[in-house]
This record gives sequence, C-alpha cells and structure tokens, in this order.
Amino acid sequence: MKKQLAFYIDAKRCIGCFTCAMACKNQYHQESGVIWRDVYELKEEIYPHRERAFYSLACNHCENPTCLNVCPVVAYYKREADGVVVHEQDKCIGCGNCIRSCPYGAPRYNPVLKRAEKCSFCWQRLDDDRKPACVLSCPTDALQIVDLAEFDEANAVQYPAGFPRYPSLNPSVRFRLPAMPKMIRRKL
Amino acid sequence: MSEMELPLVIFTVLSQTAVGLVAISAIRQHAADGPAGSVRPEWMTAALLLIAGLVASLFHLGHPLGAPLAIKHLGSAWLSREALGIGVFTALVIVGFLSARDRVNAGLSFAAAAVGLIALFFTAMTYSPPGFPALNNVMPFVFFLLTAAMVGAGFASYFTSAEKMPMITRILAVSLIIGLVVYLVVPFLWLSGGTVMRQTGLNYISSPLYWARIIVGLVIPLMAIWRMRTLAAWVPVLVLAGEIMGRIAFFLLAVHASANMGGIY
Repeated sequence: MKKQLAFYIDAKRCIGCFTCAMACKNQYHQESGVIWRDVYELKEEIYPHRERAFYSLACNHCENPTCLNVCPVVAYYKREADGVVVHEQDKCIGCGNCIRSCPYGAPRYNPVLKRAEKCSFCWQRLDDDRKPACVLSCPTDALQIVDLAEFDEANAVQYPAGFPRYPSLNPSVRFRLPAMPKMIRRKL
Repeated sequence: MSEMELPLVIFTVLSQTAVGLVAISAIRQHAADGPAGSVRPEWMTAALLLIAGLVASLFHLGHPLGAPLAIKHLGSAWLSREALGIGVFTALVIVGFLSARDRVNAGLSFAAAAVGLIALFFTAMTYSPPGFPALNNVMPFVFFLLTAAMVGAGFASYFTSAEKMPMITRILAVSLIIGLVVYLVVPFLWLSGGTVMRQTGLNYISSPLYWARIIVGLVIPLMAIWRMRTLAAWVPVLVLAGEIMGRIAFFLLAVHASANMGGIY
C-alpha cells in the first residue's frame, strides 16, 4: 500500500475542548460559518452516559474522494506522496457539486469568495516537516496523524457508530472508541 | 434540510420539459399517422426552454464566467457529462428548429430525442450523490424522466393537431398516473431506510409543499382529463407548476448524510 496519511481520532482521550477546531480557525482565518474541522458530540443513543464522548472531524482525505471525482473543473487533486486531497480554490467555479456529494460534509461554501473550500491537512506544514495545526494543538494527544500503510493498531476502527459508512470512498481516518465510564455504586 | 436551489430547479425542469417535448414531437411526426402539427414553433419552444434553463443555471454558480470550464472532467464528473450532453442537445434542437419546414428530418428528430434522454440520465446521475442517501439511487432518474413525460406531453399538446390530441392526452394521463403512484409511494419507502433517509421521508410527508405538489401537479390535472376527456389548455400549466414545486421539494427536503454526525446511521 502507498503512503496514505490519515487522522487518528482517539475518542478515549478526547475531552471535547474544541482546541483543534480553534487551531484550524486561527491558522486559516476562515470566513464566519466556514468550518473545516468540527467536534461532534456522540448522541445519547450511542453513548448513554453522563460522561460525554466526541469525534473531532474534518476532511477524511479518502482513498477514492468523491469531491475529486465529481468536480467538473478538476479543482481537486490527490497528492501521490502522501494521499492528501488538495482543493485548488482558484480553479473552483462555485458549483457546489463537491459540497452536495461528500457524505462527510467536508467541503464548505465560502460565501465571500463564492467558492468551495475544505481541510487541506495543512499540506504546506507537512512539507515543512511540521504537524497540522489541529494535531499540534490537541492538549490530550487525542488527534494524531498516522500513515495507513504502516498503521497497525488492533483496536482502531474505520466506521464507529456515529460516523457514516461509505466503503466506496474508503475514508482515510481511524478511531479509537470512547471508554465506557467507570460506574461506582455503593453496596446496599 | 438543504437549500431551495432555485436556479437548478428552473434549469432541471425546463431542460427536462424540452427533452419530453422533442421526444414526443419525434414520435408524433414520424411514428404516428396523420398531420405532424406545428413542429417549427414546437422546436423553437424547446430551444427557448433550454436557453432559459441554461441561463438560469449560471445563477447557481459562484463564478458564472467559469461555466465553459465545466466540461473539463468528462472522465469521472457527471456534471461535466451533463454540461456536454445538454450543450449537444441544445445545438441539435436549434438545428432542428432552423431546418424544419412542416416536419423536422426523421434522423435529426430521433437523434435529438436520444441525446436529450442521455443528457437527462447524466443530469440524474449528477443529482444522486453519496451525500444524500435518499437520492443516491435510481430515484432522481425516475423523477426526471417523469418530468420529461408529464410536462413534455403537456406542452406538446399546444403544438398537436386535433387528430392526434387523443394520443397526447393518453401519454399525459398515463404519465400522471405513474407519477402519482411514484410520488405517493417513494417518501413512505424512505421511512424504512436509515436515519437520514427516514428523516428525508418524514420531511416530505410533513411538508405542505409536497402535498400541494401532489394535488396541484398530479391530482387536479388527472381529474380534469378524466372529467373532460380531453386536454384543457390550463392543464399543462398546472402540471408545470406541480413539477416546479416538486423540484423545490427535491432540493429543499432531502437531508444530507453529514447532518446526523454523532448519531445512529
């Protein structure tokens, strides 16, 4: 398998502090309402505890990216070296086809530039041997980069509950499931 | 819920009407006995509908001047194929209109109809993306084909001679019955799908727009044909209004897969 960078989301460690989302915002200063990375709380139907659990999600840089496939003006490309899916915004004509097509909601519409945009995996930082802003900022190491060609974590899952399953896209993301909270009860 | 996407509503409904108009015109001229009807005005109407639809579609783009670039990705993007297909179809319809005397050449008529149907298929594939589980299947193709059959037949009645009106009325009545069954059944089928598909179904059956579309665009036209045994001039207008409402519902009420992130899918 070729090198394919992926986000590893450790829901056991994530405390839902939104620092990753804020770091992304600080790095790129997106327009109001344009969000590349967001933190989603697991609903009670999946995680029925007083403790809460979270997934920090952005573009999954899929092996077979639907954004790239549906873009009529070839504004997307996938880097050979690391599998990162890059959107060339200057080529975008703002048709919104990628926004409608991606089931993970990664491409967003920039109402000022009237073009789509999405998480770039901070490829410029990667090329400079630095971590993406979100990964660097995480105070609990709940967000990490892994290379799927070498990744061998037995407990990692690709499609946990609360995350849409699209095998034809093969999203480059892996999760560690949140821990069940320890229940301490007084003996009657 | 999603956005109304009015430019796309106008583009898809008008272009599909043109496909239906041209296909029915080809059949009426060359596969049925009797007078051809007012063929030249009919093809001019189809061309004007296509041009109006294409102009409307530009308002959907953030950068309309980039529209010609939309045919760059024919290898995998259905939107590029759609742009090419609609472009070729429009060109054939204009040639048909310009070359028509009392009829359009049979080869050109059927070629235009075939290209139009292929373009309609490309449009359907564009609007059945993975992002919308309720639409990521054959249903957009069925909906769009029904638009072509219903509004196309309705508009064709304005250009059809009295001798062939029963044929056009039958095509419209059968299309309306199929449309009524499909549009009543599909939202209830969606209720048995996953969370996002089920939410789309619930959005439909709880939407006044959906029920108005059923009554205005399907039930009243069917009742009118049944009671009058002919096609009144106002019926196609109602069918068109119903399709526009239905297409607004198509864009507005479908739920995106990402809307349920963190919940059960």
